[in-house]
Amino acid sequence: MATEQPAADQTDDIQREIGHDEYDPIGTLALVFIYFIIVSMLWIFVYFVEFLPRISPMVVF
Amino acid sequence: MEIHKYEKIWFAAALVLVVLFISSVAYGAVGAGIQMVDDEGGEINPNEIGDHPTFEGYQDVAGTEASVTQVNESHYEAQIQANHPNFFPGEITVPEGSTVTFYITAGDVIHSYDIVGTNVNTMVIPGQIAELTAEFEEPNEYGVVCSEYCGELHHEMEGMVNVVSEEEWEENYTDDLITIDERGGDN
Amino acid sequence: MAVFADRYPDEAKVVRAALASSFLALLIGGAMGPLQTLHRIDYLRIMPSETYYTVLTLHGVALVILFTIFFLVGFYQWAITDSLDRPSEDIRVTWLWYGLMTAGAAMASIAILGGFTDATDISASVLFTFYAPLEAHWLFYAGLTTFIVGTWVAGADWFRSWWNWKKENKGEKTPLRTFMVLTTMLMWYLATIGVAAAVLLFLLPWSLGIIDSVNPLLTRTLFWYFGHPVVYFWLLPVYMIWYVILPQIAGGRLFSDALARIVFVLFLVLSVPVGIHHQYLDPGIAEGFKFLSASNTMFLLLPSLLTAFTVVASIEHGARQRGGEGYFRWLTALPWRNPAFTGMALAGLMFAAAGFSGMVNAGMNLNYLVHNTMWVPGHFHLTVGTAVALTIMAVTYWFLPRITGNPIFSMRLGLVQVLTWFVGMVLMSNAMHRVGVGGEPRRTADPFYDFEFEGVIGSIGELHLQIGIGAIILTLSLVLFFIHLIFSWFGISATTKITSEAPIRKPLSGKEHAPAVLENFRLWVAIAAVLIVLVYTIPIASIIAEGGLFGPDVSPVRPDHAPLFSLSGLATEWVVAGLAGAVGAIAAIAGVLR
Repeated sequence: MATEQPAADQTDDIQREIGHDEYDPIGTLALVFIYFIIVSMLWIFVYFVEFLPRISPMVVF
Repeated sequence: MEIHKYEKIWFAAALVLVVLFISSVAYGAVGAGIQMVDDEGGEINPNEIGDHPTFEGYQDVAGTEASVTQVNESHYEAQIQANHPNFFPGEITVPEGSTVTFYITAGDVIHSYDIVGTNVNTMVIPGQIAELTAEFEEPNEYGVVCSEYCGELHHEMEGMVNVVSEEEWEENYTDDLITIDERGGDN
Repeated sequence: MAVFADRYPDEAKVVRAALASSFLALLIGGAMGPLQTLHRIDYLRIMPSETYYTVLTLHGVALVILFTIFFLVGFYQWAITDSLDRPSEDIRVTWLWYGLMTAGAAMASIAILGGFTDATDISASVLFTFYAPLEAHWLFYAGLTTFIVGTWVAGADWFRSWWNWKKENKGEKTPLRTFMVLTTMLMWYLATIGVAAAVLLFLLPWSLGIIDSVNPLLTRTLFWYFGHPVVYFWLLPVYMIWYVILPQIAGGRLFSDALARIVFVLFLVLSVPVGIHHQYLDPGIAEGFKFLSASNTMFLLLPSLLTAFTVVASIEHGARQRGGEGYFRWLTALPWRNPAFTGMALAGLMFAAAGFSGMVNAGMNLNYLVHNTMWVPGHFHLTVGTAVALTIMAVTYWFLPRITGNPIFSMRLGLVQVLTWFVGMVLMSNAMHRVGVGGEPRRTADPFYDFEFEGVIGSIGELHLQIGIGAIILTLSLVLFFIHLIFSWFGISATTKITSEAPIRKPLSGKEHAPAVLENFRLWVAIAAVLIVLVYTIPIASIIAEGGLFGPDVSPVRPDHAPLFSLSGLATEWVVAGLAGAVGAIAAIAGVLR
């Protein structure tokens, strides 16, 4: 009949325990920085390049 | 509470984004002068559209070549009624370089009036008059769609805004043009 | 620790029942997807265009109401029971709310399915937004009401558990998962006031002929009062998964318990007073209130941007514990072969992209560019269609063993499934955004007019092809998901039983660091209520003052439908009723049997 096993959680791969005070999420900061740049550039492109000048007629009143 | 200094940096950056977005929108409204459709158009009884001062005589206007009313030399207005699955009038014509004020309402359900490729785009709600004004610089043929689901033939609901050259306007559209004084109403 | 299904077998049964209902709705709603996509782009048309809108109504209601909310209640029942470590106060009450929701779902489904035949006058081809004066059969409104009342009872059930837990654990902070459940439900109570008012005061009496007229702008405004916060009702369980389960799978610990709580409180406070941003182009609402709503919406970005940091930092913690190094190289140390991890990570990535298209939607005057174009469904197929749906599918590979005791059938098949969903949605959603900027409207059976749309980078024809390919890949992914789900759920070909599970690891910065004021729910509800009053009182008062509470004599319009099949009246009524009733019955039976 069936054997028994635990639900996998990937805990077996942990090589070291890192506590709160010894961890700086520098990789996260790098990723969100890239996201910040992409989003602000896209916004400026869509708002000030695609939207504001291109569209004629413009709703004015 | 412990908040990591990197997360504080990110929070500040997030605030910068929020400020960037809000100030762009404010600039568009105040600096570039793009106004939102609002409550200026007023209310209307959808069963008695022709009796409303804004729409008085609009059926007669729809029978003319241009289907718009002349307000002055360069300003026109268009009264449009949306009824599944048609706009009435479906096609309007204005000369290049004109300013057009649209008054749009619905006789049955919620529609929209969206001039494709422009930012003239408004919801059309029974009981409400959507009022918006736009400037048309160059001659062009713009398609209009109803972009709000309004019933089983919604996809057939379309219209047209023709912007024609000064010469073409003089030649074909001025003979039966109705002016605001002739039409009556109080706009 | 013993597996959840063994520790709380009665509660696990309810969780399974709710998940079964949720996945049944996913199956039905998902099946409508390729039908309408291929019809729209005119590649394959097996129904008249008139029927498209009935299909679209089913797609919308089944996926964004039934699939998401049935999942939420099942998952939240698990979260409450597991995190408070106490059984349901009265399992009959727990079954009661599940029963109410199922009955409501069946009623609404019958009403929609009635639109496929002309044998009865039952139909509800009014789309998910049911804007009056379009009218559905009263059964549709009554079903939605019953369903929502079910969610209210569920919330009360969970609050009761929490109150009793507090009596026995004086002075202790509420566990994180319970905290998240309670804040979500408080937000939901505030949000559903709008739809309850629209349906009970106006639409239901109107569809029954008790009142003759409604004010379409008023019911529309009340709908969007509810219609925006409902997206957070889809999203918050997913945020819980990202905060609690994703770090666990990545081999890390939640970076900050306190920040997770702050984010949920921000959603409680800010979710509701933003609904007018769906009405930027509505006449009858002053521009000032539109701007107020736009600003609130932009501030609502903050909890999501904070979530991005906290969740990624928690994953990075896992990567570093698994030996990851460097600024970006740690990414390679993550468990990419695990479909639960990969699915959620890709869902999060797509949500980041959706963040941008959402900012454009929220940009008031910028909304002229995209309002009611394909950009909008492009956007929400990234949010609810991927961030939410893909996370739910991915978490199943982690969650199912805990509630069934059966192992996952094949992690590799699961990986293929989540990857195909991602690829399909990248193609479809990207092309939808682009035809949207070209002006192609959403919600139409046949977007081909006397004039042409101009595509932005790429012709409309090419973009339609991309949408079609994307939809087909998504359909394949859905088929894989269901094959896999059935094998895993029922333990077909399984030789082992899951008997134990690892407890959720403690956050790096734990709840002892969370300020006590966060638990002051009365304060947050009061602030939320004040904001709602500030943002909504004047617009609603002015809509009523100008247009009248019941509007200017607006009669209902029932969309006509071209029947797909005609049988004798009574027979069809029973067939339709039977089919829709089976929706509830199969779901309930599947849950109970397991």
